[in-house]
Amino acid sequence: MAYKTIIGLEIHVELATKHKIFCNCPNEYGAEANTLVCPICLGLPGALPVLDKEALEYGIKAGIAFNGSISNIIKMDRKNYFYPDLTKGYQISQAEIPFCDGGYIEIELEEGTKKITLNRIHIEEDTGKQLHSEDGMTLIDFNRAGVPLIEIVTNPDINSAEEAKLFLDKLRAILKYIGVSNVKMEEGSLRCDVNINVVNTKSNVKSNITEIKNLNSFKAVVKAIEFEEKRHIELLEAGSNTDRETRRWDETKGETIIMRKKFGVSDYRFAEDGDIPPIKIAGEWIEEIRKSLPELPHAKKERFIKEYNLSDYDAGVLTQSKELSIFFEDTLKYIDDSKLVSNWIMGDVLRRLNDDEIEIEESNLKPKDLAELLILIRDGKINNNTGKKVLKEMFDTGKSPETIVKEKGLIQISDEGALKEIIEKVLSENEQSIIDYKNGKDRALGFLVGQIMKASRGKANPQLVNKMLLEIINER
Amino acid sequence: MVSKEDIMYIADIAKLNISTDELDSAIEKFTQLLKFVDKIKEVDTENVEPTYQVNDDTYILKDYEGNATLTREEVLQNTKEQKYGYFKIMKVVE
Amino acid sequence: MDITSLKAWEMKEKILNKEISSRELLEAHIKKIEEVEPEINAFITLNKEEALKEAERIDEKIKNNEELGLLAGLPIGIKDNIATKNLRTTCASKILENFIPPYNATVIEKIKANDGIVIGKTNLDEFAMGGSTETSYFGPTKNPINKNMVPGGSSGGSAAAVGANEVPLALGTDTGGSVRQPASFCGVVGLKPTYGMISRYGVIPMANTLDQVGVFGRDVKDALLMLNAVTGYDMKDSTSSKKSDLPISIDLNERINYLEGMTVAIPKEYIELGPSNKEVQAQFDNALKVFENSGAKIEIVSLPHLEYALETYYIIMSCEVSSNMSRYDGIRFGHRAEEYNTLDELYKNTRTEGFGEEVKRRIMVGTYALSKGLAEESYKKALKVRTLIKQDFDRVFANHDIILSLASPILPYEFNSVINDPIEMYKADLYTVPVNLAGLCSMSVPMGTVDGLPVGLQIIGDRFKDANVIKAGLGYERAVL
Ligand SMILES: [Mg+2]
Ligand SMILES: [Zn+2]
Repeated sequence: MAYKTIIGLEIHVELATKHKIFCNCPNEYGAEANTLVCPICLGLPGALPVLDKEALEYGIKAGIAFNGSISNIIKMDRKNYFYPDLTKGYQISQAEIPFCDGGYIEIELEEGTKKITLNRIHIEEDTGKQLHSEDGMTLIDFNRAGVPLIEIVTNPDINSAEEAKLFLDKLRAILKYIGVSNVKMEEGSLRCDVNINVVNTKSNVKSNITEIKNLNSFKAVVKAIEFEEKRHIELLEAGSNTDRETRRWDETKGETIIMRKKFGVSDYRFAEDGDIPPIKIAGEWIEEIRKSLPELPHAKKERFIKEYNLSDYDAGVLTQSKELSIFFEDTLKYIDDSKLVSNWIMGDVLRRLNDDEIEIEESNLKPKDLAELLILIRDGKINNNTGKKVLKEMFDTGKSPETIVKEKGLIQISDEGALKEIIEKVLSENEQSIIDYKNGKDRALGFLVGQIMKASRGKANPQLVNKMLLEIINER
Repeated sequence: MVSKEDIMYIADIAKLNISTDELDSAIEKFTQLLKFVDKIKEVDTENVEPTYQVNDDTYILKDYEGNATLTREEVLQNTKEQKYGYFKIMKVVE
Repeated sequence: MDITSLKAWEMKEKILNKEISSRELLEAHIKKIEEVEPEINAFITLNKEEALKEAERIDEKIKNNEELGLLAGLPIGIKDNIATKNLRTTCASKILENFIPPYNATVIEKIKANDGIVIGKTNLDEFAMGGSTETSYFGPTKNPINKNMVPGGSSGGSAAAVGANEVPLALGTDTGGSVRQPASFCGVVGLKPTYGMISRYGVIPMANTLDQVGVFGRDVKDALLMLNAVTGYDMKDSTSSKKSDLPISIDLNERINYLEGMTVAIPKEYIELGPSNKEVQAQFDNALKVFENSGAKIEIVSLPHLEYALETYYIIMSCEVSSNMSRYDGIRFGHRAEEYNTLDELYKNTRTEGFGEEVKRRIMVGTYALSKGLAEESYKKALKVRTLIKQDFDRVFANHDIILSLASPILPYEFNSVINDPIEMYKADLYTVPVNLAGLCSMSVPMGTVDGLPVGLQIIGDRFKDANVIKAGLGYERAVL
């Protein structure tokens, strides 16, 4: 029987502004508990919020990058509920009018491009953090209270774990491109909740929507979706159904666990926050923000294909990360050979980054150094294999290729006189191989080249060796 | 009609305990509110915008340097219990 | 002569002329407070030591011939719902009984910058919810004119402190009449400026789109002095208006007749309503004659939506109250219940123990009015009716400088009397509440007594036309003195 999975995501993104959204406390991660707190973010009686300009600007940047339409009026509402990490008994959020309506993100599937549409993006404040200790205490830190968040709500357009993963990759890449968030799931600056159910495409029977919370990596998102997909289908197959409930992902057990049932609809008593009068947004300001946006991944990919003659695949990989795309173009400032640079980045460079599990900007490699290395290879000063070794050394030490080559004496021997000496010496020691070659055994030639390379300690220019060896043998 | 259940539900989300002898006066207050709601229903508000704020000249976005972050002692000075610089409550059953 | 009975501006002159030091002035007031407080109970917390240090600092400035701020060493009472750094701020509630704010409200910073001295925190109805100061957790305040009577409220402590010569000036807050009505009851001047004139930063909210800080003084000139010290745009309050940055400068030349040519509106709805006490009405009629005789032009106008003002106010106020009271959960500050086994019990026990009856009632009603089934027809609808009420006033102020009415149709009453008759209380609110709904400015000025109890004249002005209200008050005061 065929089932279709229906997934909607709600993603909370912490904005990397200088200050918190309603006060001027620093917006920083990892400080000692309750040291980044003031009367406003602590919700002390009488303290008042003022909406941070940068936070709104960052939110609008994201809205534009995700193709949404920006509201010309910013209205903040109170979402009333009690929770220990919430300082005022209400969260200042947006209910009626989100600052950004609609929008979409495109993902690349084998069968082509798919548009995942967004319902809305709204701006709100983050809450504090609770710790539960073994000996029965709950400890609360309010450093995070008041950190600006945007909440991105998709329509239920996602149909598989794979699509969810691609969507999140793209979302994360775009947010990094425009520089509005650190998007680190492990630090909680990007948090994702999943709403999922399945529908039997023949009978049209649907399972009830399950909400999954506490997903702290993309991997967990994928695994939780796959787990729930299976659970929903099994229940429907058994003639049963899922409950409307909130579940969490348990990484060690590899399964989702029920947190709470959903009874009816929550009564948040939304009302306009009278402390923050509606703010009219000038169209010029939105235009200014639009113009300040950097080139986004999709546009950059298209440009790379055209401008640098790259394959669709290579251009896609090189533009996935903003830093990598910048690295690529920066390297091209020193060496005008996009094919060569692309090949090396797609090959040895990315392999090394993957092995070390780091991003390009965290590595020792500099664009200028990579270009120098490739120039050494192109000019025949070192050969390809030596180049790979030098690159490894560059990653390890951060030294320039010139320095490494000089220190290790790796410059390739392209001097014909010097090469001739080595070749003559090797030939005189391997008379039998010459005879073999002349008798038609081509392998003998390869053996000789190997011996010559060995005698030169790998520094002989291979093309030159091949050419000269043939000339000398044929003269004999 | 306001029911006892209405009152208990509202007390629950407002996080207040309502004793049985307070129920009647609460029902009375809620009933009065409903009368008020009925009264303003008379007013024709077709095409009338709500007034959230009396002044419409306010356009304030926060954009300045400096902050008034408190010392940790000040942050914790009014709480009943603290530990390791955190606010503390006893673990509660959820 | 008892120096504490002078007007604030007279005290200020004596300080500037070096006839008296700030310390002497303060000590005279402390002596007066010690004398009358056991009976009046206008203060919840006194700030004697700090105040004395401040007085010495100001005297040092005088000695060095440094220029003094507007408030030049005057002692000032602060309603106890305004945050004062390191000085207990209770809102007259058990839930904040031991709350010591780590920060100052903007108005407190302004008082300090103007060399005023915070002498203590005055009593109020719990969280400013009430009209008699009887709901205070710290006991009621008595009316200095007649100690069997309530001082009005919610700023009853501030009004009584000025009336009993404990301070020359005080700050209150006014959400639906809480400055003007106690001023009327205690026979002092109480001014509620336009919404947005005075920063609300650090002013503990009751209903935040209606709340505004107000000032008390013994005459209009005192009120103006205090207003100019605390008004002004504040970037920490998004509802603060840049229009409030205009200083209110009024030529105080004794020979100016401010009432000449002033256009005065009298709403016919108030004439029809009338006070049940005919003598109170007679006082108002006399006041009108004063205006007329001084050259003001009086016209009857209509405020057609006035009859919905109370219901509208009650719904909006309750909704805002219910949300504003949510931060009192016992976790970060304030009272916390000893007994709890669940999170829900922590909240419910804390709040049930910490809040008084009136506060709980308003939270319940507001929560109900905002809840899912009702929000549209209660809260949203009320906000629309509010628009119509505001437009009524806008029409009147297009052609008139001020509106005159009673500040309160009822006289100060005995303790535990009218509080059991909420309908009469609500009717009384009809004179003050519409002003807050429309964000207007308004002042209560004493206009004589009935049976030895004071009656106040309410002068209402358009938004940011506070100067009109003050001129009318000055003109009336001069004409009757
Ligand atoms: Mg949210
Ligand atoms: Zn803060």
